[in-house]
Amino acid sequence: MRRYITRQLVQLVVVIIGISLLAFSILHVIGDPVLLLLPQNAGKEEYERYNKILGLDQPVYVQYWKFVSRAVVGDFGKSWYTSTPAFSLVLERMPPTLYLTFAGLGAAMLIALPLGILAALKRHSFVDTLCTMLAVAGQAVPIFWLGIMLIIVFAVRLKALPASGYGTWQHFLMPAFSLGTFLAPITMRLVRSGVIEVMNMEYIKTARAKGVAERMVVIKHAFRNACIPVITVVGLQFGQLLGGAIVTETVFAWPGVATLTVESIRNQDFPVVQCAVVLLALVIVTVNLIVDVIVGLIDPRIRVGG
Amino acid sequence: MKAASGGMGAAVAPDDLERGGGLPAETRGSLRRLWRLKWGVAAAALMLAIVGTTVLAPWLAPHDPIAVNIRLRLAPPAWMDGGASKHLLGTDQVGRDLLSRVIYGGRVSLLVGVAAVLLSATIGVPLGLTAGYFGPRVDWIIMTLINVMLTFPFVLLALAVIAVLGPSLPNMIAVLGAAGWPIYARVVRAETLSIRERDFVVASRALGMGHLRIIFRQILPNLVSAVVVIATLQVAQVIILESFLSFLGLGIQPPTPAWGNMLGEGRVYMLTSWWIAAFPGLAIFVTTLVINLMGNALRDWLDPHMKL
Amino acid sequence: MHRALTLSTALILALGVATPAAIDAQTKDDTIVYALQSDIATWDPPNDVLREAIILGYHVFDHLAARDVKTGKVGPNLATSWKALDDTTWEVKLRQGVKFHDGTPFGAKDVKATFERVLDPKNKLTARGNHAKIKSVEAVDDSTVRFKTDGPYPLFVERMTAQVMQSAKVIAEKGHDWMQENPVGTGPYKLVKWSRKQEHLLVRNDDYWGPKPHFKYVRIRIIPEQATQIAELLSGGVDVIKAVPPDQMDVINKSGSSRTASSPILRTAMLQLDQAGRGGQNPFQDRRVRQAANLAVDIDGVIKYVLNGLGDRVATGVNPMAFGWDPSLKPYTQDLARAKKLLAEAGFPNGVDITFHEGPPVVEPATQQTNDAIVSDLTKAGFRVKRNYTGDNTVFVARVKENKASPMFNWSWGYYSIFDADAILYDVFKCGETWSYYCNKELDDLIHAGRSSLDPKKRAEIYVKAQKLLFDDAAYLFKWGLRGVWGISNRIEYAAPRDEIDRMFLATPRKK
Repeated sequence: MRRYITRQLVQLVVVIIGISLLAFSILHVIGDPVLLLLPQNAGKEEYERYNKILGLDQPVYVQYWKFVSRAVVGDFGKSWYTSTPAFSLVLERMPPTLYLTFAGLGAAMLIALPLGILAALKRHSFVDTLCTMLAVAGQAVPIFWLGIMLIIVFAVRLKALPASGYGTWQHFLMPAFSLGTFLAPITMRLVRSGVIEVMNMEYIKTARAKGVAERMVVIKHAFRNACIPVITVVGLQFGQLLGGAIVTETVFAWPGVATLTVESIRNQDFPVVQCAVVLLALVIVTVNLIVDVIVGLIDPRIRVGG
Repeated sequence: MKAASGGMGAAVAPDDLERGGGLPAETRGSLRRLWRLKWGVAAAALMLAIVGTTVLAPWLAPHDPIAVNIRLRLAPPAWMDGGASKHLLGTDQVGRDLLSRVIYGGRVSLLVGVAAVLLSATIGVPLGLTAGYFGPRVDWIIMTLINVMLTFPFVLLALAVIAVLGPSLPNMIAVLGAAGWPIYARVVRAETLSIRERDFVVASRALGMGHLRIIFRQILPNLVSAVVVIATLQVAQVIILESFLSFLGLGIQPPTPAWGNMLGEGRVYMLTSWWIAAFPGLAIFVTTLVINLMGNALRDWLDPHMKL
Repeated sequence: MHRALTLSTALILALGVATPAAIDAQTKDDTIVYALQSDIATWDPPNDVLREAIILGYHVFDHLAARDVKTGKVGPNLATSWKALDDTTWEVKLRQGVKFHDGTPFGAKDVKATFERVLDPKNKLTARGNHAKIKSVEAVDDSTVRFKTDGPYPLFVERMTAQVMQSAKVIAEKGHDWMQENPVGTGPYKLVKWSRKQEHLLVRNDDYWGPKPHFKYVRIRIIPEQATQIAELLSGGVDVIKAVPPDQMDVINKSGSSRTASSPILRTAMLQLDQAGRGGQNPFQDRRVRQAANLAVDIDGVIKYVLNGLGDRVATGVNPMAFGWDPSLKPYTQDLARAKKLLAEAGFPNGVDITFHEGPPVVEPATQQTNDAIVSDLTKAGFRVKRNYTGDNTVFVARVKENKASPMFNWSWGYYSIFDADAILYDVFKCGETWSYYCNKELDDLIHAGRSSLDPKKRAEIYVKAQKLLFDDAAYLFKWGLRGVWGISNRIEYAAPRDEIDRMFLATPRKK
């Protein structure tokens, strides 16, 4: 087990270095920050001056080193527009995004688990086909479209839920559901195939043969083992889920990192963009690590096999 | 490492693993496969119609998609009260013909979808082959690269790059293409790993056949079906992503019609003139649905046990 | 296995279940909710040019003078009376017994400190241009202040409505940086909490010297999307929204839960053309090209069909409600043939490429739609327009300031709510001013003459000349005077303010 975790940690460090490189190159390799800051008619002298201020006259590796050594202590520079530190701006907006993502994850599970298990148990029946259809259709619904529809129905027409914003549990319902629908189809199909695989295994057949009640079989054995692929995919899909959160936050005026990032991108406020991207990536890496460890704990085969 | 080599993709999930079971189940399985294939054929026909419509847009679209007519703003679809017969699906907030815009908008979506997927495959397949064929060290480097890409919030990456490069059609294709390759690399790598150990490859190697010849003659042909399936499903993903970006105002810029930006512009009118957003939304839905159905059918047809 | 479950449960608890802190300490009945499309950059009003800052400033701060929303007349506020001692001296008497939110009494020293801070060029406050005519401020005694001006200053009284009174103690002891986030005023409300780009919570100042506001709390929510604002209004999440697009009025009025109110407002919309060459050489430096642009567009059609008639065509930037407006000057009307001819004469027989910088519809409703229509007309005359959209108003304004909006951008000017031609001519047309992309010595002389005379008749004549000049020179692409449209919840009684300054302290519950 220890070797398994060590290997994961090494991988983690390498991935984090990769992320820092990517975040750094967004600004420095693809674009020229000075051109973004300067007025159109600025002369060469002014260009040089800005270049110096931003430290861009130094070799790229020196700049990268500075970026990283500052980032490690949470210094991503100041926002070009509000002059507040990018790090605190992003950090302040992080909790709403995390809550939304986890709520979305929860919603996806609430939809996917029952439907997936049902489809697996009633394989090839009408129910199964219906579930598959739902999944394919669910994958095709643009998340923002669904969000807008929910607002119209539940907020404007029924006046049952707040149309946007953040604060109470009611505010969570529509955004979480939209985001959940985004992840539910693939999770449902995974649950279905996981349960099918497990139901065919010897020990389940044994349990059945022993006369254990069908419901107990499903709950005790099949469900638990079907969880493994689900947990794995949750880890992998977490990045996707955050991507979905960007759109969800925009539709529901949710005060999270995603809206902040989109805003900063539109404003070309790169310190904030870099900071947000790095922190979000760190969240994803952490979740992936936790998932790997959990899967490793539940499923002994992985620890041994690798 | 396990999580990454699990081979779960963004749009594709492992489907049935129907092993075991008696003869009746087998028969039922293949019947079902055939049934699904029928859906696939229908989907393919519909897709052909969609592609045909967009390709023939200049001849099929009744109006210039960017011609503004403020005297005829917000006209409802022809069949509704107050609808004008020359605008079948109505007009938008500045009186542009919605049908023409939906038709032309499809060009952008499909072009971005197909081009980005080709680009992704061009990057991803060689990398996957290299990782799978040339042993642990190269494999480790490429897998790490893949992990970095997968960790990096895909949409954010696309947004950030577009913000620097500026929103335009080629940039959009480049960004979505460059961001989408890891899934190809991962699947190809996994397949390559298993094919590499098969008898005929081992034999060829023993006979002194060169690496490149083995890769091109023996491994690549066995990968085609997997790549085709992923590519098909990815087109749907990319179309949705493109509409995300356009919706956020960072994609195709108005007045050029794209389904995403039409939906974004029509949002304000959801309560009054629903058709402005409804038809592009429907177009996105139908197109991605059809592509997904096609992709699933392709998978069943090419390799029912494919674990994607 | 057991261990694993415990671990994962703990993690889920730690990450997911912690609920965000509830902010609803107040109840619905004692709270009014107002929505803004974009947040202010700072709580230091003299340091922010945007309308939002003026509006929020009115809630927390007071001014020496204030406009009565019903009559439109300027009357006393923190000043009780004022008079001109001679051509260049104004004496102002201050209200007594007024306290700042921190308990310190308000007096002449605060007026002096406020103006001196604004006037000091080193402080680089955006409000400086408003008061540049003031030479010195002198505290005669605790409740009397004398202003010395640089020549006669006819706008003195109007301008008193545009300067919030800040505390001398705070300016001296806390300083500029602290003031950016901590407003200490004498106004009807106090700031409780500011969550940047989300929400401001204000609580009633129970020691207020004037009439007490009805609602104990004001929540100001930042909702960037217009569609979301309307949805919030209809679902009861927000009580007052502004800048409603004309084609959305129906859905609000038919909802049964809210209504719209509209009023002409002191704001003129235009497309500024870079005649001054601030962004480098460009086609609009040629008068013929500017005239062609004005002739290319059917502005009357845009007002009629896109704005549903909610706009007043103007010949220049001067608004019909402003002093000095010349009703006899007839605006440009569409003439594509002449536009093409002028373009050809200017050396562009095959059309000309221009970039159009667009900002968000924060103060000018339906900007996107009217721009679509205008661009389509410009195209017909031979302008090949490349559009460049900036979604954040603060950033858009910064681009304009930094010469990055050349050669054409959409702009509207709200006069700092000063009902006088000078309030737009000086800021938006005078050579070298921050928001001006136009430069003409002849006009500058007129502007100077206009602001140096106390005789209304003479001033009016000067402004007639100035408008004629702007029109003939086609300084910018002139559009219309705006009509503001507000969406108001049916539980609230609230009148649309023609100076475009929303005052939640005047709102009351609607009588059933």
